[in-house]
Amino acid sequence: MRKRQSLLWRYLGLIFVAMMLLPVVFPIATIIFYEPVESQILDEGGNPLSGVDVERLWHEEARRLSGAEAAVVEERLRAWLVNYPSASIVWVDEDGVTRLRLPEDAEYPAEWSLSETIRFMKEGYDADPFTTVALLGSEADEGFIALRIPRDLFRGGGGDRFGTGLWEYASLIATLIVFVLFIAVSVLFFYRIRSRMLRLKAAMTSPAEGGIPRPVEVKRLDEIGQLEQSFNDMIMQLEKSREREREEEALRRQLIANLSHDLRTPLTAIRGHAYRLSGEQLSDSGRQSAELIDRKISHMDRLIDNLLSYTLLSAGKFPYHPKSTDIVRLVRMLCASWYPTFEQEGFEIDIDLPDEPVYWTIDPSWLERVLDNVFQNVLRHAKEGRYLGVKVAAEEGRAVISVSDRGGGMTGESVEKGAGIGLSIASLMLREMKLDWQFDSTPNGTTIRIVPHFLNKI
Amino acid sequence: MRTILYIEDDTEIGEWVVEDLERRGNRVIWLKSGDRALELAKEADIVILDVMLPGLDGFTVGARLKKEFPGTPILMLSARTAVEDKLQGLSFADDYLTKPFHPDELAARIEVLFRRSKPEANEELRLGHLIVKPQENSVIDERSGEELILTGKQHHIFMYLLKHRNQILTKEQIYEAVWGEPYIDGDKTLMVHIRYLREKVELDPADPKIIETIRGIGYRVKV
Repeated sequence: MRKRQSLLWRYLGLIFVAMMLLPVVFPIATIIFYEPVESQILDEGGNPLSGVDVERLWHEEARRLSGAEAAVVEERLRAWLVNYPSASIVWVDEDGVTRLRLPEDAEYPAEWSLSETIRFMKEGYDADPFTTVALLGSEADEGFIALRIPRDLFRGGGGDRFGTGLWEYASLIATLIVFVLFIAVSVLFFYRIRSRMLRLKAAMTSPAEGGIPRPVEVKRLDEIGQLEQSFNDMIMQLEKSREREREEEALRRQLIANLSHDLRTPLTAIRGHAYRLSGEQLSDSGRQSAELIDRKISHMDRLIDNLLSYTLLSAGKFPYHPKSTDIVRLVRMLCASWYPTFEQEGFEIDIDLPDEPVYWTIDPSWLERVLDNVFQNVLRHAKEGRYLGVKVAAEEGRAVISVSDRGGGMTGESVEKGAGIGLSIASLMLREMKLDWQFDSTPNGTTIRIVPHFLNKI
Repeated sequence: MRTILYIEDDTEIGEWVVEDLERRGNRVIWLKSGDRALELAKEADIVILDVMLPGLDGFTVGARLKKEFPGTPILMLSARTAVEDKLQGLSFADDYLTKPFHPDELAARIEVLFRRSKPEANEELRLGHLIVKPQENSVIDERSGEELILTGKQHHIFMYLLKHRNQILTKEQIYEAVWGEPYIDGDKTLMVHIRYLREKVELDPADPKIIETIRGIGYRVKV
């Protein structure tokens, strides 16, 4: 990953820019916010003058006026007043007597005592109005002239640009703005990261059909982009393995179907020949043999079926589709299909089913298969009892299916070899459906009860 | 004489099935692959079809046949016993019989399919003292020669039982076929209708001979 694509480096860059901006911002803010304010005191050329300029001019004037006629001095000072109308001027001679006050009503004492002179000097120093005093005469012994100008005239008429004193906070405000900007950009930065994370999470938790999420679009190659890339790779691998699993599954089914087919085809031919044989003129033992062959073919058929089913079932590959099923209806249907067979064998058939439906969440075809197995066993092993009882009834608050016969019990003589696998299949199926079976076998008959683990009122 | 189109590639099985079906009085056209099935199916009253065939498999052939000749029943006769195979077969076929089958069972199933597909071929049906004429939708008492007057529902129930004669039909099956709505607690309704129906068709309604009650399951009309 290149550094400029990394989120870490990008954020570090952001912090760096903010840090660099802070020291630069202070002078920039000063430049932007502080503009020197022009004085309203102008010289003859119209250029603004500061207090220092005025003081210099005033002292030059005093030097020129040293030893001059009183009328000349007065004329010059009046000229100053014309130039600076808001100023006030006083001329005091060497004896401490005020010779001229401009304007006439300006508040200056007529006689200057020593203490008065000192007070004037002290008041004028760095105060408002601006005061400058210049001594006259080359020996500074001809008195002095003083000029006073209101200090705010040096600052211009409009005050400063942003109201009084605000410019002093300019750098603080600028710093604050930089901070706020930095936080805003940071929030935006993390908000975008967060929304990308959320998008990824949404993609992970909303699987498409088949249970595998859809890949996401990778827009940038930063850390999150890499995460998205890995996520997509993972999905691809998942899909590949799912595909492989499906292929294996199909192969296995195909194999079993072929095996089943290849075993059954010759059985069919054998049955055909046995059937043809039984149509011939045969001795008793010949006819018995033909019947035996026929019975054994049926047995083989069941055995093949059970073997293959057991293989699938124990591998968890037998299709199981549980749904809410009315077992009373299912048992009634099964009884209807088995009834003629038992009737033909001369069985007494006692069926006792409730009028109300009872719902179990099971795969109906599985329960059918289990019950078929039970009925088949009754037919094969309990023929001598000539009795079949089928009942759905409540026991301890739950519905129970029971099938009873009056045969010789399960330890009886007629146990057919290989019947065990049928029972194993039924057991596996019942366990999967959260059902249990209980056997109650005596030499006078057997009752098989199918009991759910879950409660089910009848 | 009915004609059966039989498609089976295994010679040994094919030979004895053909022999057996012919012995039972059928004309059999035997094909060893599905290639010419469509052109020969025109003549057939029933098609018996294997699944594992050279070339097109039985499912494909069967689905095409059903599309071309929806009225001709198809019986799948296969050594494939998996539930998925049966379901796939029964999506178009009328019956599915697995090998190794017993010839008597095959004959019985053909009989059922044939009867179901050709109801008009059913001439009068004698049922104890009754004669049923399906074309005229009438039930006649043989002794008096008079027609029994049945209500719509009674007639419907009786005909449904006759159509599935010798089969035990559960209460749910009958109710849902006749009323066309799911059986929830229709028990009483059906029982009442059967009682009235018996009063008309039975010689002694207290000891029914025509509509047999199979206790706990349903009813059956045995012919």
